[in-house]
Amino acid sequence: MLEGSCLCGNIRFSVTGAPQGVSACHCGQCRKQSGHVWSSAFVPEADLHITGEVTWYEATPQAKRGFCATCGAFLFWKAHDEDTMSFALGALDGPTGLRLEKHIFTADKGDYYEIADGVPQE
Amino acid sequence: MIKGACLCGAVAFRLEGKARDILGCHCGQCRKQSGFYWAATSVADDCLVLERDEGLAWFRASDTAQRGFCRLCGSSLFWKPEDAPRTVVAAGALEPGHGLKMACHVFMEDKGDYYEIGDGLPQFARFSGGENA
Repeated sequence: MLEGSCLCGNIRFSVTGAPQGVSACHCGQCRKQSGHVWSSAFVPEADLHITGEVTWYEATPQAKRGFCATCGAFLFWKAHDEDTMSFALGALDGPTGLRLEKHIFTADKGDYYEIADGVPQE
Repeated sequence: MIKGACLCGAVAFRLEGKARDILGCHCGQCRKQSGFYWAATSVADDCLVLERDEGLAWFRASDTAQRGFCRLCGSSLFWKPEDAPRTVVAAGALEPGHGLKMACHVFMEDKGDYYEIGDGLPQFARFSGGENA
C-alpha cells in the first residue's frame, strides 16, 4: 500500500487500489502550481484515504486542486465529472514501485527544459 | 526584466538584475512540496520585487530556510535561505520568454524512484556549487 504526506505532515493519505495513469503533466496550471512539472497517478476516489485539512482551488470550473495551506504542498487533482482522484507522486514515502508511463500536455511545456527520458509524450 | 505569478494571481513579482540559470532540485522537501521535482532560478534579494503579496505565506521547512507559497492556490514560489542574501524563485511561475535554461540537477541522491532524467545535463548528488551564483 502506498502512503504519502505533505511536507509538514498535516495531510496524510494512503492508496489501497492499483494506481493508473502514472504521468508527468506539463500544462500551464500544473507548471504554475508545482513550480515546474507535476507528477501523479489516479485511483477511484474510494481507494484514496485522506486525513487532515485539504484546501481546494478551482483554476477552472471543471476540476479542483488540493494542497496544504500550512506548507504549500500540491497533493491532489480531481475532475468534478470523474469518480477518480489524482495524487502527487512526490508526496509518496519510500519506494513507490511505480514507473512514469507518459508525459501529458507537452504542447504547453516550459521552454527552459527538455524531456529526454524516452517516456511517451502526449 | 522577468515577470512571474502564482496560479491565482494573488502573488505577482518581477525579477530585476541578473537571474541565475535554472537548477532542478530533487531533494525530499522539494519533491514533497512540488509533487515531482522542483526547478528554480535565483536572484539577489533586492532584485525580487513583489507586485502583489496578498496570498504569500512562508513555511519554515528547516532551520536554515523558508519556503514561500500562495496560501490561496497552493503554488510553490520561493525558497529563502537564512544565510545568503538571495531568493530562489520557481521556474514554473515565470512568464514565457525569460530566456533562462536548465543547467543541472541537484540532490540526485534523494530523487524519486519512478522517473529518469536523460537530458544530458550535469547531475550532482547534493550541491552543484552554483547555488549561490
